[in-house]
Amino acid sequence: MKYLNILAPRFYTINLNFLFMKRILLLFSLLLIAGSFVMAQTVMISGTVTGSEDGLPLPGVNITVKGTTVGAISGTDGRYSLSAPASAQTLVFSFIGFVTQEVLISGRTTIDVVLRQDLYNVDEVVVVAYGTQQKREITGSIASVKGDAIKAVPVQSFDQALQGKAAGVQITLPNGVLNNVPVIRIRGFNSISGSSYPLIVVDGVPIATGNWGGNAITNALADINPADIQSMDILKDASATALYGSRAANGVIIITTKRGSGARTKVTYDGNIGFTQPYKIFEVMNAAQYIEHKNKAWVNLLGAAAPQISFVNDANGNPIDTRWSDYIYQTGFQHNHTISFSGSTPSTSYFLSAGFTDQEGMIKKNFYERKNARMNLDHKLNKYVNLGANIAYTLGYTEAPNTGASFATAGAARLAFVLPPNIGPYMNDGSGDYNIEGSAIGRMGQPFPVLGYYNPVAIFDLNKFTTSTDRLLTTVYASLTPVKGLVLKTQYGIDYLNAEQTTFQSPVTGDSFGANGFAGNSYQKFKRWTWTNTASYNLSIQEKYNIGLLAGIEEQYSHNIWWSGNKTNVADRFFKVYQGTWVTAGMGGGAIGENYFISYFGRASFNYNRKYYVEGSVRRDGFSGLAAGNKFGTFGGGSLMWNASNEEFISSALGSIFSDIRLKASYGRVGNISAVGDFSSLFLYGAGVYGAVPTLGFNQAGNADLQWETSDKYDIGISFGILNDRIQSEINYYYNDINGLVLNVPQSPSKGIPGNTIPANVGSMYNTGLELTLTSFNFSTSRFSWTTTLNLSTLKNEVTALAPGVTQILGITGGLETTNRTVVGKPVGGLLAVETRGVDTETGRRVYVNAAGEEVLFYFENTGAARWQYRDGSGNAPAITTAADGKVMGSPLPKFFGGLDNNWSYMGFDFTLGLTYSLFFDIYSGSKAGLRDQRWWNNSVEVYKTAWANPGDKTNIPKPVMNDNISNGSSFPISENIERGDYVKVRSMSAGYTFRKLPAETNIESIRLYGQVFNAFVFTKFSGSDPEVSTQGNSNIAPGIDRNSAPQARNFVFGASINF
Amino acid sequence: MRNILKISIVFALLLTVGCSKEYLDPAPQTSLSDLTVFDTKDRVVAQVNGMYAFMKSGAFLGGRFFVYNDVRADNFIPKSSNLVTNFATWNHSVVSSTNEVQNFWGSVYAAVNAINIFMDGLKTAWDGGKLTGKITQEEYNQYMSEALTLRAICFFDLLQLYAKPYNLGTTNPGVLLRLTPMKSAAGNDLARSSVGECYTQILSDLNTAESLARVNYATALDNTTRVHRNTIIALKTRVYLHMQDWATVVSESAKIVGQTSAPFSATSGVAFALNPSYTALFGTPYTSAESIFSMPFTTTNTPGGQNGLPHYYNSASSESYYLNTSPGFAYAAMDPADVRRSSLVLAGGNYFLGKYPDFTTLTNYAPVIRYAEVLLNRAEALVRAGGTVTAEAIALLNAVRTRSYPAGAYAGFATAADFYTAVLLERNIEFLGEGMRNMDLMRLGLPIPAKNTSMGNVAQITSSSTSYIWPMPANEQGLNSLLTPNE
Repeated sequence: MKYLNILAPRFYTINLNFLFMKRILLLFSLLLIAGSFVMAQTVMISGTVTGSEDGLPLPGVNITVKGTTVGAISGTDGRYSLSAPASAQTLVFSFIGFVTQEVLISGRTTIDVVLRQDLYNVDEVVVVAYGTQQKREITGSIASVKGDAIKAVPVQSFDQALQGKAAGVQITLPNGVLNNVPVIRIRGFNSISGSSYPLIVVDGVPIATGNWGGNAITNALADINPADIQSMDILKDASATALYGSRAANGVIIITTKRGSGARTKVTYDGNIGFTQPYKIFEVMNAAQYIEHKNKAWVNLLGAAAPQISFVNDANGNPIDTRWSDYIYQTGFQHNHTISFSGSTPSTSYFLSAGFTDQEGMIKKNFYERKNARMNLDHKLNKYVNLGANIAYTLGYTEAPNTGASFATAGAARLAFVLPPNIGPYMNDGSGDYNIEGSAIGRMGQPFPVLGYYNPVAIFDLNKFTTSTDRLLTTVYASLTPVKGLVLKTQYGIDYLNAEQTTFQSPVTGDSFGANGFAGNSYQKFKRWTWTNTASYNLSIQEKYNIGLLAGIEEQYSHNIWWSGNKTNVADRFFKVYQGTWVTAGMGGGAIGENYFISYFGRASFNYNRKYYVEGSVRRDGFSGLAAGNKFGTFGGGSLMWNASNEEFISSALGSIFSDIRLKASYGRVGNISAVGDFSSLFLYGAGVYGAVPTLGFNQAGNADLQWETSDKYDIGISFGILNDRIQSEINYYYNDINGLVLNVPQSPSKGIPGNTIPANVGSMYNTGLELTLTSFNFSTSRFSWTTTLNLSTLKNEVTALAPGVTQILGITGGLETTNRTVVGKPVGGLLAVETRGVDTETGRRVYVNAAGEEVLFYFENTGAARWQYRDGSGNAPAITTAADGKVMGSPLPKFFGGLDNNWSYMGFDFTLGLTYSLFFDIYSGSKAGLRDQRWWNNSVEVYKTAWANPGDKTNIPKPVMNDNISNGSSFPISENIERGDYVKVRSMSAGYTFRKLPAETNIESIRLYGQVFNAFVFTKFSGSDPEVSTQGNSNIAPGIDRNSAPQARNFVFGASINF
Repeated sequence: MRNILKISIVFALLLTVGCSKEYLDPAPQTSLSDLTVFDTKDRVVAQVNGMYAFMKSGAFLGGRFFVYNDVRADNFIPKSSNLVTNFATWNHSVVSSTNEVQNFWGSVYAAVNAINIFMDGLKTAWDGGKLTGKITQEEYNQYMSEALTLRAICFFDLLQLYAKPYNLGTTNPGVLLRLTPMKSAAGNDLARSSVGECYTQILSDLNTAESLARVNYATALDNTTRVHRNTIIALKTRVYLHMQDWATVVSESAKIVGQTSAPFSATSGVAFALNPSYTALFGTPYTSAESIFSMPFTTTNTPGGQNGLPHYYNSASSESYYLNTSPGFAYAAMDPADVRRSSLVLAGGNYFLGKYPDFTTLTNYAPVIRYAEVLLNRAEALVRAGGTVTAEAIALLNAVRTRSYPAGAYAGFATAADFYTAVLLERNIEFLGEGMRNMDLMRLGLPIPAKNTSMGNVAQITSSSTSYIWPMPANEQGLNSLLTPNE
């Protein structure tokens, strides 16, 4: 061993000079050869481990000889024994939930140890890129969330439960539709044309993310049972993410699944049942109000000769008064179950789990089901070799009606408020038939134009949209520890995801009435393998010079096949599946994509006496989607940390208050490849048909100069513990400068470039913000504890350059409405609208402000040039348009956001209260434009009550004129519909009681019974259904839009967690 | 030693991992690289057909172009107020950012660029000898001829909606004459050419095309769905008619209207003739001698849901348009005995066109130009050129009219003006739902009549109104700094 210690410092020096992969490996091999000559003498040490609180033996404690892999695990009686090398000086006792203790051997052969409970979580282990580190040793910016914090939350995927849990991490659920894909932003928007979605790494393997369904939305992350998750570590700054190189710019979320420990087999059952409801439904006019209001509007348009709407009687002769939302929303029932077995023998640890979840949504016909099984195994083959595997298989099934936000005429959320209340879903002739008129809902003799919208009851009953997935997520590894401190590891990860979507649209009515029915199936097969080989070496010299080295090579290959078929014109209405008999076969579709990464990376970290830390990492990535000569890029980062509390002069001065003070700084350059497609560099021709003959046409203007986006990330921070770590805090300031943004540079449409864009690395922007995390163990006794965790983030984003000649990038909602404008000098995705100034009290007309700042009134009933008139009476004005008169009237990016969690426990009781909040941001409520539209559409009760009627009326609802789709913002966005979205949300509330000390014959160790409310209350002035909304999903350029989105769901859950 | 062996194996593994060349250079399997598209004759022909496919996009000749021109004008009333199905076009409330204003422009220019890229590529490959032995000089000429004709159609159709008609002045701003391939980020800015310059370009393209064109194809389907010499001449009669160059309409139409009395069939090239049955024109196989140029559809190649003509005119569609039966519109002007009226479909108390019956599969061909139009173009030009109503003009008019309404033959006209009214009416009736009406009103500078309907009252639009033509699209205005807006 001495030989090795002498060699090591030299090795380190050499390493500094040659930071090249292969040389490091060569050096490692030299070391190995050296190490293999070392012979060992041993000594037996034994003892008992007990807990400080109750003095009972602690089974499953990990005991290792410091600086070696020699170790043992305490048995059920707390006893252990191990044979330590004669040179061993220190034993390390570690056990989850207890403070790790180091004990000097000093020649003893019997060592009994009392472990103290880790009340303040100071010894947490955090998973970092390609390894783990002690929380306090981390020089970068990483937020950690334990699996326990989310396992009982009634969500489909873990990302939904991360809301408000970590500073700098903003998570938005687009709406309350089951299995929707949350919008995740780590430290703001990091791209414009690409994705700002982080890299998700599960047990060391980057996995597929996003939506894998069509109408039946399916989040790829739902394939991981939240109950199987041990921890989620969110890597935020470049120093933490640099090892992921070209995919690191949006941050990285590392998911680690549970592993077995403890000699006794632990059996755990977690189960709950629950209910879900829409949180808030728009209150629209009833039939009487609707008839009165619309008839008035019709008279305002056409005078006394106007047609009149009236009550329609149902089959029993009673006037119809339909509350359409009753036919769309429901109270859905849910139940979830997970059972797991875990434990370990001296050589093998295991974790096995099986889960089942079955959920109904708050929207009728919305279901989600998941069946999953997982096996995590680690086996110590011998002194040198460890083997292991994580194998998870998941079956998912989602069914949903068309919940499409924005402008779909089948969109359930929109149908809940747009349809007239004086007609019903069924015919009023007693037949029970659907009230339909071709594809649309029937008018029941009312003098509307054809309504165009569908009968929601009919399409809910008749149509069906499903997504079925099966997913294999597997990692196998082998590691070799030939000498102390050196680990060579090879790991092969598989992510196979198959998704089948089926669509059936009935011939009776709705979308495919015209085609006499439609059935379409599509199948997507995603295969990815990731092979990672690493060598890591940790060395401690005289306990003062601590060195960590890592080098690795990683390859990742992804292959994605998609194909679809469709048929129309059903032969017999019996058939409701693609496999049935249909008269007409459609063209179908398909795509094949593939991409490949080859990466070389290394990390070196050093600390002196746990006072001064320095760390650096570098990664060189090659990506297949880039043009030849451009394929490789190098990324890297470095960080410094000063543990001030380990300085004598600091601890003597401040030690009575501060138990820990660390100052950190990091810098790095990382990339974002998401805007580069598999073949973005190529000029391509696509095939098609012209009638019955084949065609070829130019369909992609590629760019061979395309490169990754790069982010220069700067971070400084301080973390400290006060009063013996009773209060722990971390404050970070970051500045993230993003350059070479890939913009799909808009081209003049007259150039006829496919898609009217060409991707190029032309833009730049920055994000900057301050993050504060504060955890306070307010009380911490064995009977009563109260912990408060607060996180607060600020965010400022500014676009600093777009493409030459490009003054703006427009964001489009639902393909129809221009809602956002990104310009230099402002945050990305600013809300674009024409300024309005309420309603003119004399005329009842909406007051618009044109580009010149002049006030213009709109008269729908006039024709031609007289529709727009200057308010000052100076005559006709040019028509107001978004292009000419629109301006950015709000920003959807919150200036402050975060969460506040409180946890109380008293005896066996526990309570939690989790809040999330977002402040100082705006939302464009397109739904409000719809709720005030003066076509036959139903309106909010506010319109009925406050619409302008007489000169002098002060209101912001203009004079109703039938068919007026402009005055309230349906035709183009107006600032009237941009509102502050600030909110504080009671995200979760729970109460539980844990029964311990149950009779031994039950074999039950503990039972926790609990109740929980998710999305309990929202405090906001926003008038829409929920200020947490994103109609445009993950879009960077069209955020902050609420256009006919479904409301959020509120869930009530009752559950039990039983440990055997 | 065993350790060393193990370690060596692990290292051998580690070091052999490395960059796999074939993985780093994947080739797409579903698209072709621009380097290979002139490798075979089949690919060249596929590119030729590809230009037609661009023309056939839903927003252009696949359907909507015709619909825009019909519903802007006076004959139709929408069932639905859906803005997606051209309601704003119907009530003249389009603005620069309205979808149809932007989408039509974009679709046509996508075709223009595809055509320019093809012509440029074909010429380069031909001049470079790459096509030697693969295609003949005649074939090369023919492909060029097809491309030029399609480009001329693009510019002509753009002018219909975005520029003032020729008769209101040739110096008014026309459209953008994009004549070179666009493949890179350069070239966003281009000024509009004048209306006169645009017509000069269109005629130049058509005349060159005519000189290069092939006379006919082997099948009736190709004769209807691809451009040949007589197609070009037929289009030229339309272009000159819009330019009010009556004499040239007469001389051009004389090239194909070979006979001086009914049925006026063409005597050289593809033998155009009126189809005996009006209704049969709009059914399979869609390739009668009257169907000069149509856009073909099949069940695997449809115009798309809200684009196809059946979607706009079939009674079963929730978003279709029905005929305004008030006096003064086409419906009231038709005699009940006229096939064109009797073949209308009565549904829910409203009359719908029966021309596009295939609402289920949307496979009705979209007629771009029919021989009946050439005859009426010639009839009108004969009279306008000389100022007197000739027997041939009356015979041409009657040929079209009596096919559908045998009892309706005109014996004569008191004045030339009466004849103009009659021929305009005939065109209105004959081409209902084929995109003719608005073009006819505008080429003569006539106002678009007022429409007072249950879907709202729409005022008359005179030729001096800003609403007479569409605005320049907002997305073009935002990126093309040389673009002159339509005031």
